[in-house]
Amino acid sequence: MSRSFSRRQALIITGATTLLSTTALTPLAFAQAAGDPVRKIVLITDTQGAAPQAYQAGQLIAQAWKQLGLDVEARPMARQAQTDLVWFNRDKWDTTMWRMVGRPERSDPDEMTFNLFHSSTAPRGFNFVGYNSPEYDKVAEQQRQTVDPAARQNLIKQAQQIVSRDAPYAFLVHPNTLQAFNQNVFDPASIVVQKGVGIRNFWTFIGATPKGTQKAMIINSGTALQAIHPLYIAGAPDSWMNELIWDRLVRIGPDGLPRPWAAESFKFVDDKTVDVVIRGDMTFHDGKPVTIDDVIFSFEAPLTTDKSPMFKPFVTDIDRIEKTGERAMRIHLKRINAAFATTALGRVFIVPKHVWEPHLKSVEGKPDTLESIRDPMNVGSGPFRQVRARLNEEVVIERHAGHWAAPKVDRVVLRVIPNAEAVVGMVRSGEINLLSEYGGDPDVLEKLSKDNPAIKLTQVTDVGIEFMAFNNRRPPFDDPVFRSALSAAIDRNVLIQAAWNGYAVESVTHVSPAIAFWHSTDVKAPATGIALAKSILEKAGYKVEGGRLRYPPGKKETLQPPG
Amino acid sequence: MSFALRRLAHSLFVLWAVVTILFLMFRLMPGNPLAAYINEQLSEDDQRLIMAQFGLNRPLYEQYVIYLWNLVQGNLGMSFFRREPVWDVLKSALPNTLILTITGLVIAYIFGILTGAWLATKRGTLAEAVIVPAALATRAAPEFWIGMILLTIFAFTFGWFPSGGANSAGAAYTSEWDRILSRDYALHLVLPALTLALYLQGLPLLLMRSTMLEILHDEFITMAKIKGLSPWRITIHHAARNALLPVATAFALGLGATLGGNVVVETVFSWPGLGRLLVAAVSQSDYPLAQGAFFLISLVLIILNLIVDLVYGWLDPRVSHG
Repeated sequence: MSRSFSRRQALIITGATTLLSTTALTPLAFAQAAGDPVRKIVLITDTQGAAPQAYQAGQLIAQAWKQLGLDVEARPMARQAQTDLVWFNRDKWDTTMWRMVGRPERSDPDEMTFNLFHSSTAPRGFNFVGYNSPEYDKVAEQQRQTVDPAARQNLIKQAQQIVSRDAPYAFLVHPNTLQAFNQNVFDPASIVVQKGVGIRNFWTFIGATPKGTQKAMIINSGTALQAIHPLYIAGAPDSWMNELIWDRLVRIGPDGLPRPWAAESFKFVDDKTVDVVIRGDMTFHDGKPVTIDDVIFSFEAPLTTDKSPMFKPFVTDIDRIEKTGERAMRIHLKRINAAFATTALGRVFIVPKHVWEPHLKSVEGKPDTLESIRDPMNVGSGPFRQVRARLNEEVVIERHAGHWAAPKVDRVVLRVIPNAEAVVGMVRSGEINLLSEYGGDPDVLEKLSKDNPAIKLTQVTDVGIEFMAFNNRRPPFDDPVFRSALSAAIDRNVLIQAAWNGYAVESVTHVSPAIAFWHSTDVKAPATGIALAKSILEKAGYKVEGGRLRYPPGKKETLQPPG
Repeated sequence: MSFALRRLAHSLFVLWAVVTILFLMFRLMPGNPLAAYINEQLSEDDQRLIMAQFGLNRPLYEQYVIYLWNLVQGNLGMSFFRREPVWDVLKSALPNTLILTITGLVIAYIFGILTGAWLATKRGTLAEAVIVPAALATRAAPEFWIGMILLTIFAFTFGWFPSGGANSAGAAYTSEWDRILSRDYALHLVLPALTLALYLQGLPLLLMRSTMLEILHDEFITMAKIKGLSPWRITIHHAARNALLPVATAFALGLGATLGGNVVVETVFSWPGLGRLLVAAVSQSDYPLAQGAFFLISLVLIILNLIVDLVYGWLDPRVSHG
């Protein structure tokens, strides 16, 4: 059951509550002794080296919370240790800086809406904060089963309002992605800016048009690749290459919406049946045609066996697949899934059955999976074919001329450059002509662009979010009022300026403004300030004594600070 | 002969101790290798499957026995994250690391030995007053700082050398040898090797100088002077040869230590070597890859130590009979 208040009603209720608390309830509160002092709170942050912005933000937040009378320790942790604690020891931490990175498939709000906050994902899934609201669960389930976009939009916005009210997280910012390209090398009109992702996207890779003799696109990655593999999900740069080498039935368009790709069409016959017709002009890089059998195999390998565990989650809603024609198949779903086109058709890669079926047989009855099998040629049907891959250093892919949407560039060269300053030098010298990621000082890049008019800078707001996650299982974070007060103590503008150098926008919900259709503009940024946070706490019965914040009367501290 | 066998047995024992410590270190370290695998919908069964695939569900002693047995057979295991044999991953980075390390060390030691020997004969001169502090300052300066200065001057400003990597973007070669012996590779090697050499030259220079200063006061040098030998002959043939022993030891140990400690230079120059691989493996809890990389470095270090011990024994019989 969902409730909604108009602004006028909300003001009346707030006013009445305030009046009541200051007249009737205050003497009662005075009559009772304050509760126990709140124990020391441990705020986990990234290390400064790994994520300087998040680290800085964590320090600023800890300082703000100390002003509320809390004993706060900001504890930097290596990412791996942080993940290990937060993910695998869910009741042993208080609060942590966290982020959901932007990915094209997150342009559909289902993942952010359902996985982050539905109670079913609390024990092991992405609801690691343990948020539990039957009201929210209902809305999250309904949006998944609502195929009509307008009705689903309404539900997604309702979900944002509930989360804003309950504050399981303190949303902080959506970072801005800073990228650049050389407009002497590429026609600027052919560089596509994808919402929430930026210029390093599939549409730029296939559409970028060289202006002169330089026909290769040279991009960078700060980290080495782990594996170029159609059935294994590794790091981010790996996925950039994978999605160019292997095609998908559906791709997320620059507008953030799914569009048919290898599928000539896909149609929901009813809520639980999808008809797919594939294109007839597709070939694999080894010259063999792409058939409907290859497509069915690509979905059935993770669906019917346990040999492709990382792709299994994408096909869990599929009951069975039926071949209905030379180029057609019918997918029967177990349950309605409004985001099916994005989360399944847009995720599974089409692999050649003639290459992978023998591999699948070779691992039957063994603990091995297809993930440890290598196809040295990496045969796919995507717009690029692999030339060579030195994963610590460089990956080269070249144009697949036989592709129905063959790219304009001859090659894409991905260079592994961990030094952000060297990257700037390389962009200046032309050793890189499309800066696909940048972790250095934004001002340096701005200056480079000013000094070199050929270098065109682009900036987009990320689909991803940076937030402070509260462990909703552990007092005092189990109290929504306490969480709201802590959130109110954080001045987002200070964080944006001091930690993100101005390259971020304030985040108010879990759905980024980058996906405007789903983002709720009704949810406004909460008012902030230490005085406001203190007053919220006082109204709820929290009290500062001897410089320490104490629980409301009668409330005992039952926990120790995390070790 | 018994000295050599004793040393060999000693080296094997050290190697066993190293591999055992490596095995325990990674497994007792906090951190779950699955933490880096997090997929929002990876089920418990799938997690169990991954654990089983890498043998992480077996008791520790069983994992240890399997690990030792594989090692004896030359099998370093399968990388958790690369999903390919550890040796295949390491061998792609090893040549780059060896070439960078050896080039840097050789430049540093040739420069250090010659300058150190020469400086020993220049006590109290202006040359000593300038070069010794300069060598110390370069030794003390952080590698990344030296690297960035060299990059800024020679790559960004003059454009004489490339800014990073081991080859130009997209350069194709017929074989690994062809690649390593190319002019392009040599050009990419200059700045990282120079950075490493600048960082490493302080030790041989100062060691050579101080050892030379001691030796130049020995009786046999006085005897050589009485015999009327030229100062050059005394310095090079008598003093320098004797002073080389500790420098040779430092070279062998330095090679082992530098082999795995090039992370900073490799990062500044985007050099695809073992150091960066090692850091990534440790931070991801990729046990087999990290163990393999450490094992390889330890193996090189132990072998070099063994060689130095044997050569020392041969050069100075007092060592082997002592």
